[in-house]
Amino acid sequence: MRPRWRKVFLDLFENKLRTALVVFSIAVGVISIGVITGAYVIIANDMSASYSANHPMNVELRTEDFGSDLVTTVQGMRGVADAEGRRIFAMRVRMPGTVQWKTLDLVAIDDFKKVNINLLRPISGSIAPAKQEILLEKKALASLNLKPGEILELQLQDGTTRQLTVVGVVQDQTTGAGDFLSPPFAYIHTDTLEYLRQPNQFNRMFVTLSENQNNDEHLRAMAARIKDKIEKTDVGVGRSRVTKTNEHPMASTVQAILGILLALGVLILFLSSSLIANTLAALLNQHLRHIGVMKLVGGRRNQIFAMYITLIVAFGVIALLIAVPLGGQGAFGLAAFIADKLNFSLMGYRIVPLALVIQIVVGMAVPLLAGLLPVLNGSRITVLHAISGDIAEETAPPLAGGKKREAVVDRVLHRVTTGLARRGYHLPRPLLISLRNTFRRKGRLLLTLFTLTMGGAIFVAVFNVRVTLFDYIAAVGNYFKADVTVSFDRPYRLSEVQRDALRYPGVTAVEGWAFANAEVLFPDGTVADNMLILAPPVDSQLVEPTGLQGRWLLPGDEKVITISESILDKLPTLKAGDMLRMKVDGKEDDWRVAGIFKFVSQQGTIAYGSYDYFSRLTNLANRSVSFRIVGQAHDPASQQILSDGLDKYFRDLGYHVSETRTGKSTLATASESLDILVTFLLIMALLTASVGAMGLTGTMGMNVLERTREIGIMRAIGAVDAEIMRTVIVEGVVIGTISWFLGALLSFPFTYMLSTIVSLAVFNSPVEVHFTWLGYLIWLGVVLVLSALASVLPARNAARLTIREVLAYE
Amino acid sequence: MDSTSRHRTSKKPTSPAAGEAAVAPLPMIDMRRIVKTFKNAAGEFTVLKGIDLQIGHGEFVSIVGKSGSGKSTLLNMITGIDHPTSGQVLVNGTDLYTSLDESGRSRWRGRNLGIVFQFFQLLPMLSLAENVMLPMDYVDLYDFDERPKRAMELLALVGLEKFAHKHPASVSTGQQQLAAIARALATNPPLLVADEPTGNLDSRSADTIIQLFDQLVAEGKTVVMVTHDPSLTERTTRNIIISDGELVSEAVACALPLLSHRQMLEVTRKAQRLTFPPGISILGRDQHVDQFYMIERGVVEIVLQGRDREDVIVTRMAAGEFFGEVELLRGGKSIAAVRAAPVGPVELLTLKRDEFKQLLDTSPLTGDALGRIVQTRLKEHRSLEPRGIRWWPFKK
Repeated sequence: MRPRWRKVFLDLFENKLRTALVVFSIAVGVISIGVITGAYVIIANDMSASYSANHPMNVELRTEDFGSDLVTTVQGMRGVADAEGRRIFAMRVRMPGTVQWKTLDLVAIDDFKKVNINLLRPISGSIAPAKQEILLEKKALASLNLKPGEILELQLQDGTTRQLTVVGVVQDQTTGAGDFLSPPFAYIHTDTLEYLRQPNQFNRMFVTLSENQNNDEHLRAMAARIKDKIEKTDVGVGRSRVTKTNEHPMASTVQAILGILLALGVLILFLSSSLIANTLAALLNQHLRHIGVMKLVGGRRNQIFAMYITLIVAFGVIALLIAVPLGGQGAFGLAAFIADKLNFSLMGYRIVPLALVIQIVVGMAVPLLAGLLPVLNGSRITVLHAISGDIAEETAPPLAGGKKREAVVDRVLHRVTTGLARRGYHLPRPLLISLRNTFRRKGRLLLTLFTLTMGGAIFVAVFNVRVTLFDYIAAVGNYFKADVTVSFDRPYRLSEVQRDALRYPGVTAVEGWAFANAEVLFPDGTVADNMLILAPPVDSQLVEPTGLQGRWLLPGDEKVITISESILDKLPTLKAGDMLRMKVDGKEDDWRVAGIFKFVSQQGTIAYGSYDYFSRLTNLANRSVSFRIVGQAHDPASQQILSDGLDKYFRDLGYHVSETRTGKSTLATASESLDILVTFLLIMALLTASVGAMGLTGTMGMNVLERTREIGIMRAIGAVDAEIMRTVIVEGVVIGTISWFLGALLSFPFTYMLSTIVSLAVFNSPVEVHFTWLGYLIWLGVVLVLSALASVLPARNAARLTIREVLAYE
Repeated sequence: MDSTSRHRTSKKPTSPAAGEAAVAPLPMIDMRRIVKTFKNAAGEFTVLKGIDLQIGHGEFVSIVGKSGSGKSTLLNMITGIDHPTSGQVLVNGTDLYTSLDESGRSRWRGRNLGIVFQFFQLLPMLSLAENVMLPMDYVDLYDFDERPKRAMELLALVGLEKFAHKHPASVSTGQQQLAAIARALATNPPLLVADEPTGNLDSRSADTIIQLFDQLVAEGKTVVMVTHDPSLTERTTRNIIISDGELVSEAVACALPLLSHRQMLEVTRKAQRLTFPPGISILGRDQHVDQFYMIERGVVEIVLQGRDREDVIVTRMAAGEFFGEVELLRGGKSIAAVRAAPVGPVELLTLKRDEFKQLLDTSPLTGDALGRIVQTRLKEHRSLEPRGIRWWPFKK
């Protein structure tokens, strides 16, 4: 090997810590981009592929009870590939010996061996439960820790309990997919229905189409045809939903979130490239003498350039060897995590070629680009400069007359401190050293500040986004202000229920609400959307809507509704005051839209009307089947206690209670889903912050390395270990503090950007951005601790330096 | 005329002054059997080989040696910057390597030692005044508000008060070194150690620095300076030569200054050390002289018989002076007696005749110089003979 290539080889291993830092800097970016692109590709492909592999329904209809003959009728329709009837109903369940009841949606299937729609994937145990046996969907295991062979206790409407044997666990990727708020499922044979006092009838029709399964228009048209067909048999259809075969209902949401992660990945790449640039610049600086000597003995600029470019390529190759496998594993891990949370399965571990190519390109190109300028500068340096010396200062061209050029920031800092000194105000000199050292390597400082600032801005923005989302969810909670909703099997008089409920300790208010199912129609008469109309009293205290247009309900409103904004997806030109063609309780008519309000669009479109009008429309004047009850405490635990108490209370009084539900339960599910999202964002923010901290560690390490001589001098004139460490750490903390200020400023546009992207992805509408001091305070603490920690290692190294080399006599 | 001054070669005798036998109770620097061995891939290399050195309070000492002789390592031992492999270093009564840890030594250094570097080593980010205040901050000496005043006083002492708020890069190299001296004096240390303090300065700036050192020594400070500049060693009160990790005997260096450092070290190694109690005869009259005598410590008296056969002390010789070279070069017996003065014991280094001859063969310059000295002494001898006293202790 020629000596100069041997030098390149030896340089790789000469300073293992430095090599590790460079390799690590490259690897961080490569791993991040590998994880995110890999996960992006895997999820984009597997999410819908695994969804479609399970034969998802194209049309789902919630209906009144029907028998298998109707299923046969639908199966025979043109354009229908298959149809299956199921009975789906909610029940309260618990593990024997426990107190807490949970809600499960039970799906009754008459022949598990002939299931062709919404296939169940076995995980453990049997896949075909017999009479009085039950299968659990794997999401149910989160709240019910049951294994095959164990018993599940179910509560009937009259309060009596039944027991079913758990015989297996399955995964159902399709039923309930796309519904953030759906409770977990469990599956029983229709033979068990009687045991649970349920009619042996279906109430849900799942249909697959034989063609155009991914054409939205065709799906809607077929849904309308099937619905008509069913209604003609005197079976009412509550709502219908259409889904494409090859697209998971959550695909666009997940893609949007992955898009954000991808953007953050690219950002981390930028940050790591600034880290690389810093480290390589420092390496070249340390090698100035080598370069000087090589030039002295005849080394040409091109030869030196080639040597250091080769060195960088070697760093890139080593980083790739580490980062590619880790990135691949990380990508699959992230995809598996998201798949688990969204209940779909992956099609096995694999290398994603696109991610691999991107990683290789990034691993080679980014260090080369980042190192190009330092290498060019290094190879251009004159012999005199290279071997002369002092590398602690950045070299700026001198002023005319050879006087040293002073940077603006140095001049300002110098003038301020000397101005103060002339007036008798002196800062301690060790503090001055830290302050002035901060600005000595301005290029390096800028890159370090860039990484820390970006990390901080994202970190703070994530907290703001979290508050924004949760405030939005809380605002949604204003539509569910009741602590407990009690549903009865049959209508009861308002006055009767109010009287009894108010006697229960802690109950402060009771409202009876009416309901109606409606179809919003396009001008051509086809169904644009299904929706639920809730009809509270017009003076209800339990709804505090966030209006977008128009007004809320007024006394005397007839054939008037306010509608949630998701209707705008279907009817974008709809405005408050417009008339809307709707079919309510089978009657088609024009209704006035008094106002449009904000609501989580994943819940589907909902509308509000006045109780007085709707109770008359449904022949339930002064009566209701659903009552909203308000207690004294509104936290989830108190609500649960009140809910359980009222359940028993009403049953004891002889009421036919269908279900009691706490007001916050639906919100809690929504919050959990958002928490997953926010956790992702926070992980990314911490990752960027970590890259920033690593950048700072590198910077401080390089600063210390270059200031060895100065540290020796400080030691020589009396500085003890603690003083040396303090000087270095204070410098790190000063950098951290500056980055905090910059990050705090930058967090404002970041918050708006992230909030808009996330809310569009999750809620399909932009939300009002809220800010919290928490993120700023936590980041201040984090950045101060990180910058102190990042400086501790270099500071310790600095304190350990002997000053022997300072006294260079010989 | 004082004969001692005429016959000194390059230095004054080791303190105390000639004829005075008073010894300071504790030296400022006391190095005992210092060995320093470095280990590297090539093996072990001993840089200091059992150095014994004492430097008293108020001395102005220069240390000279060629590159690689070990003088920087020696200085590092004095400043507490490096650890000896074995031996003991006491500076101003403090045992640097057994009683202090690294941080403790830094703090001790800040309070007891001022260091002046060849390349000034001012911190570039601080103004001159701030550089001077820094040691006070580090060792927490003087009130915080008093420190700027003291820094200005020190800068005024070195003539830099107008430049106090300038950064080092904005002043000349000479001014930087003056500022570095002001910084070294910041905590009013009793000992100043300077490494080639004038090595990078023009002669005018160098002279200013040395005058300043003279002034500091006059005020009672001890200054130890490494230098290559012979004009500076002339101005110090003591010159220590280090060669190949060993100290050259100061008696040898004074007696035979024209030898190379390596030759001086050879002489130091070969010379036999003799000690004589006070008043004891070293050479009798008419005794055959077969050695070259170099006085390392103490005072000797040259005694002749007067007209009435009484003992007449014709002169006293102190450390750094020598006798016996006339007889060795010209032959003959001693006509004067030489004895240890009653003030204290005398330590002599002696070279045998053949070693002395061999030395002159390898160093013709030394031979020529000694030849000229012999001529001078004989001439003086003849001029004094008519007075009836043959005062020089050698005769043909």
